[in-house]
This record gives sequence, C-alpha cells and structure tokens, in this order.
Amino acid sequence: MNSPLDAPHISRPGSSLAAGAMALGVHVLFLLLLVFGVSWQTRHPAPVMVDIWDALPPLPPPRPHPQPEIVPPEPVKLPVPKTEPAPIVKELPLKAPDIALEKKKADAEHMQKREAQHEAEQKARAEAARVEAEAARKAHEKQLAEQKKRELLRQMEEEDLVRRMADETAANEARQARLAEARAAAGKRQAEVARIVGQHRDLISAKVRSNTRLPDNLPGNIEVRFLVKLLPTGEVVSVRLTRSSGNAAYDAAVERAIEKSSPLPLPTERDARAEFVPELSFVHRPKE
Amino acid sequence: MNPELGQDLSLLHLIINASLPVQGVMAILLFASMMSWWYIFIKMFALKRALKVTDSFEKEFWGGGDINVMYKRVAAERENAGEMERIFEAGFREFMKLRQQTGLSLNVIIDGTRRAMRATYQRELDGLESHLAFLATVGSVSPYVGLFGTVWGIMLAFQGLATVAQATLAQVAPGIAEALIATAMGLFAAIPAVVGYNRYTHDIDRLANRMESFMEEFSNILQRQTTKAA
Repeated sequence: MNSPLDAPHISRPGSSLAAGAMALGVHVLFLLLLVFGVSWQTRHPAPVMVDIWDALPPLPPPRPHPQPEIVPPEPVKLPVPKTEPAPIVKELPLKAPDIALEKKKADAEHMQKREAQHEAEQKARAEAARVEAEAARKAHEKQLAEQKKRELLRQMEEEDLVRRMADETAANEARQARLAEARAAAGKRQAEVARIVGQHRDLISAKVRSNTRLPDNLPGNIEVRFLVKLLPTGEVVSVRLTRSSGNAAYDAAVERAIEKSSPLPLPTERDARAEFVPELSFVHRPKE
Repeated sequence: MNPELGQDLSLLHLIINASLPVQGVMAILLFASMMSWWYIFIKMFALKRALKVTDSFEKEFWGGGDINVMYKRVAAERENAGEMERIFEAGFREFMKLRQQTGLSLNVIIDGTRRAMRATYQRELDGLESHLAFLATVGSVSPYVGLFGTVWGIMLAFQGLATVAQATLAQVAPGIAEALIATAMGLFAAIPAVVGYNRYTHDIDRLANRMESFMEEFSNILQRQTTKAA
C-alpha cells in the first residue's frame, strides 16, 4: 500500500544563482590578476647592447662633399682672331695725264698757239703736277691712315690674345688647384676611412674577445683565421675557418664567439663598411 | 602569428593570436573552470546548510523533546528539512506503520525501521555527493588538457621555426607563451577543483558518520521504547 506520503524525498541539487555569480567573480578576479599582476613584457624597454670603448668614438666623418667632377679640360675656344683680310691698299692709279696726246694734237693744229698752248700746257702741267702731288699726298695720307688703323687693330688683337691667354692660364691654374684639393680631400678621406676601419676592427676584435671562453692550456699565442660572411647590418651569416691554429678546441671556441658576437659593430660609413661586408677576414689570438 | 621582434606579449594578444587547437583547449578549460567553481560554490552553500540543520536537529533531538511532536513538524516541512531530519522522519513513519500492524515481532519492526532509514540515508548521501564527481574529473583531467594545448602550441611554434634560416628566441617566444597559457588555465581549473573535492568528500564523510550513528542510536531508542511499552 503506497501512499504519496511514503514517496521518498529526493533532494535535487539546486542550481544557485548566487553560486554562479561568485564563480564568475572568481574568474574575473583571476583575469585581472593575470592582466595587471603579471607584466607581460609590455613595459620593459628593449634590450640595449652596450659597447665599452677605450677611445672616444670618431667624430662623424665629414659629409663627403660631392667629388668635384673632373671635367676634361675644355679647350678654351680661342675665337680665331678674325684677321680682317688685309685691306688692299688701293693704289691710286697715277695716270699719266694725257698731256702728250693733247700736245700732239696741238702740235698738229696750230703752231701759233704753241706759245699760249705752251703756257696753258705749262699751266696745265703745273696743275696736273699739283693734282698729281695732291693725289699722291692724299694717297699717302690714306695709306698712312690705313696703316695706322691696321696697326691699331693688330694691337688690339694682340692685347686681346694676351688677355685671353692670361685668362686661360688662370683657369688652368684654378683647375690644377681644384684637382690638387680634390686629391688632398680624397687622401684625407682615405686616411679617415682607414682610421674608422682600424677602429672597428678593434671593436669587433674586442667584442669577439669578450665572448670568447678560452680553453685551458693553450700552447702560446696561437693564431687562427676565419672568413666571416656578414650582412650589412653586421649579422654573421657564416663563419669559415681559413687557417687553423692547430688547436681544434681553440678554433671552435673562437668560432662560437664570433657567432655569439653577431651582430658585429660595423661602421656606418659606407666606404669603411665595404671593408667588412660581405666578407671579413678575421684573425684572432688569445692575447693581443 | 608573425615572428617579428619586439612583439607585444599582452595576455589578450596572446589568446587572440593563438592557433585554433590551442584556442579550443582554452575554451574547454575556461568552461570547465567556470563549471567547477559554480559547483564548488553550490556545494559550499549546501554543505554549510546541511551542517547547520544537522547541528540544530541533533540539539533538538538530544535535548529531550517529544519525538511525536518532532515527527509532525518534520513531516509538515519535509521539503525544507535537513538530511538527518528526513532520515528520522522516514524511520519513525515506518516504525509507526509497523507498530499498528498486530502480530509483528520486535525484531521485524526494528529491522523494517532500519531499512527505511538506510534507504533514505543512501538517497540523502547521493544528493550530498552530487557534482563531486565533476570536481574530481576537472581536478584530474584539466591539467592534461592544458598540457595538450601547450604541447600543441609549442609544436606549431617550432614548426614555424623550421622554415626560417636564422632561428632566434623571439620567433618562438610568443608561441610558447601562448601555449603556456593553456597550461596555466588547466592548473587554474584543476587546483580549486581538487581542493574542493577533497574538502567536500571529507565533510560529507563526517556528515555520513553522524547520520549512521544517529540511525543506530534512534533504532536503539525505538527498541527500548517498544520493549518498555510491551
């Protein structure tokens, strides 16, 4: 005989809203702890590599001023002096006056008129002579003037030439000076580059040295050579042994040190960097 | 996930950029963690209440109150009664019914009463122990699930590393960090679940002991009263 009163009570686990809220609260708390409690490297500054330098860094090399372009010396165009065609001196035609002819005529006609004619003749002759003299004088004068003019012209030309020559020599000298200067600058730059190269060789050497763990009992100051392939950034691409020191442990230690030293300190100067990139012959000794 | 240098390793960034299996593992673990915490709180409230009600019932029972009055009160509020009260109620009801039937020996009556109490006890214990299996599962499995996510994430990170010429730590660091978040989540889910499970099983064991003791003692009381009356 079963009555509903006899039915057993089955306690069902209740789903509590408060418990759910508290569970959520715990998770939010944990999340906050993670986000704010753990520094996720966001606040750390980037690692800084420090090189310890013995000497002060070199001053930034002077901006390589644009190499003065060495233009092939342009031949100074000497305008060919326009030597005016020598003026042809117009010889005044010293025509002999047709006196003789007239005389013959007059002879044939009238002897009587000879006197008068003679006189006239003389007069005419005098006149002619005068005219002639005049003409000669004029011609001479003209010739003189011409000559003077020519002289003057020539002189002017000569002066011009001299001036031009002077200009040219001056220009030549300036060019020479420029060239010399450029040579001197190039020499100085070369020296500067060599200095930077030397400095960076020392820096690289020092960096590798600081990373080298030397094996024990080395036989003296042995030398090892490597060919190091570098990227322009200084990162080591490959290290190849070119001449062993004879001590394999030492070779391996230096090779490891070179790889560990990547990136190597390279000069910023393009010309100087060309000494290191893409290949650098590296020599290492246990002691300097 | 691009392996560029100077990456932002913030938590959200890592979770969003994680690979799909790792994200799946993280989602599972988050769900498991939510559920286990929810059950932990539910159990916490339930056990607290059970202990309180049991304490007050024992006080009342051993305080010399009238058993009939107590039975009537418990039967009236059966749904809200405590575990021990329901055991008492089931036992006493069975005892009353058996006593009304004539010709039954004392042993039969007491045995019937005990059986009724034991049935209720089992049911109540089952109710108390509900969800504990889930806590145990989360506690033992979620570290492995997290570990799986981590291993997977690290595998992917190293696979990505195989394709580059120059391997740097920066290329695997984000992948490993993201993968390790899965392990962290697994542990976060597992530790409270294990602690909760151990603590609640202990509490329930103690409560069960008290209930069994009560059953024995109540049977004794009923037997004594019956022999007295007879």
